[in-house]
Amino acid sequence: MTNASQPFISLKNVYKQFGDYVAVDNLSMEVHRGEIVALLGRTGAGKSTVMSMLMGTIACDAGEVRVAGVDPCQEFDALRGKMAVSFQTDRLLPWRTAVENVELGLQILNRPKAETRRAALAWLERVKLKGTEDKYVHELSGGMRQRVSLARALAVDPELVFLDESFSQLDHVTSQVLRKDFAQIVRTYGKTCVFVTHRIEDALDIADRIFVLAAPARVCLELQVDAQLRADADVMSRLHDDIAHAIGGEEQEEGVHE
Amino acid sequence: MNAMSKPLDKPGIKLAAKPAEGSAGRRELIALAVVIAGLALAMEIGSRFTEDYILPSPVVVGRALIDLLTVDYMHVVITLGRLGMAIVFSLIVGVTIGLLMGTSKKAGPYLKSLVIIDTGIPALSWMLIAVFWFKDPEARIFFILTVILLPFYALNVYEGLRAIPRDWVDMMESFRPSRLQVMRYLIVPHIVPYIFLTTKSVIGYAIRMVIFAELVASAVGIGSRMSFAQSTFRIDQVMAWTFLLVILNLALQSAANLAEKRLLKWRAEAKVR
Repeated sequence: MTNASQPFISLKNVYKQFGDYVAVDNLSMEVHRGEIVALLGRTGAGKSTVMSMLMGTIACDAGEVRVAGVDPCQEFDALRGKMAVSFQTDRLLPWRTAVENVELGLQILNRPKAETRRAALAWLERVKLKGTEDKYVHELSGGMRQRVSLARALAVDPELVFLDESFSQLDHVTSQVLRKDFAQIVRTYGKTCVFVTHRIEDALDIADRIFVLAAPARVCLELQVDAQLRADADVMSRLHDDIAHAIGGEEQEEGVHE
Repeated sequence: MNAMSKPLDKPGIKLAAKPAEGSAGRRELIALAVVIAGLALAMEIGSRFTEDYILPSPVVVGRALIDLLTVDYMHVVITLGRLGMAIVFSLIVGVTIGLLMGTSKKAGPYLKSLVIIDTGIPALSWMLIAVFWFKDPEARIFFILTVILLPFYALNVYEGLRAIPRDWVDMMESFRPSRLQVMRYLIVPHIVPYIFLTTKSVIGYAIRMVIFAELVASAVGIGSRMSFAQSTFRIDQVMAWTFLLVILNLALQSAANLAEKRLLKWRAEAKVR
């Protein structure tokens, strides 16, 4: 397990190939406890492959991946209850109501029934969905579903939250509101968060650090962002341009936009 | 209905609102009543131009039906009991086999081959084989129905397993569940609609099979009574039994629909325009 001085997540010279296709090439990066880190890149840059390796669902071919001091793939169960994921699509189970979907992770962790219900209701309230507890998935809007998905991830009280393009399927306004709410919750509860996105504004809006990935996944730009920088529109505009330039200047075509 | 719970319409697909469901149900009932009345009328007209042993009037068939229900009701109970036992057993074993087909790398391919071979064997072959293999009529009928119904459950559940979205599996995996938890929280709820679909599909077929089986292998039950009615030239009784079987089929289908509606209330009912 990690101590305070060690990075919470580290990737060292990670390499991953699918057949002849190189998805990740010599990627190294570190994430510290309590940070919100964005992995930003064009479609096909290997962001989701990196995320899958961090989640432990695929192994790297070379290099080393450590999450909370363990290899997430080799020691898959060691991260039980320590991490949670919110995906691009909500992935809610349609036979469960909103509150029952939020309870899923807690049930898997075998938490007592009463505690599970209490925690699920509290998280639904935190993501501003009070009153929708008994709604089935088809009765909720896209934004509401994504909020339930976030509540499901956060309800297990994970140390680490992964977001895989969680806001990208929502309209601009809903996405903006949701990511602000999410960032506030993550900072309030001191979670570490890694989120994958192809939208520059998502990253600039909430990340403490941004790793811009070029294909095959390797860091081509690393940026630190804080509240002071965010308050300066000119600096943010320059950062946006720098990122767009690093990505390859084809942001419009690939959906990378502000 | 507020904005939050308002179902979203998609092109070509209209989500049915609750009142529309009720009116659709009424329309179906009215259509059924009209068809029955039409058939009864045609039968009545036909009976006036033919001999009684060819086509009796609906009134004669109705009297025969009342007689059967008062005198021979035990045969109905026996047939229903056989049917129920065979369906429940086939459901339990078929679902288990289907789950193993989809989840066990070792046993799956063998079970799948076995089930596919079973589906290729005609029902009549099983009936004749059962007569050779089993002395007890109950065992014969149970065996015949089971070997015929079981593959439907196994194959549909297997297909249900294959239809589980990879996204859901990944989502579950992110919480690091045990295999039992994946089964309990994901697989079993996902295959419930497939079990209902199979049950509704096999009810009519199972009724036909149990009647055949009773005709071949038993001295009691509706099938054997129909055979007796045929041998005594009682076409009114044959028709009365037939009418009763249709009613039984409709009643069982309705019961399955009702149970499905209660258990699968989470599903948004879509209606294609």
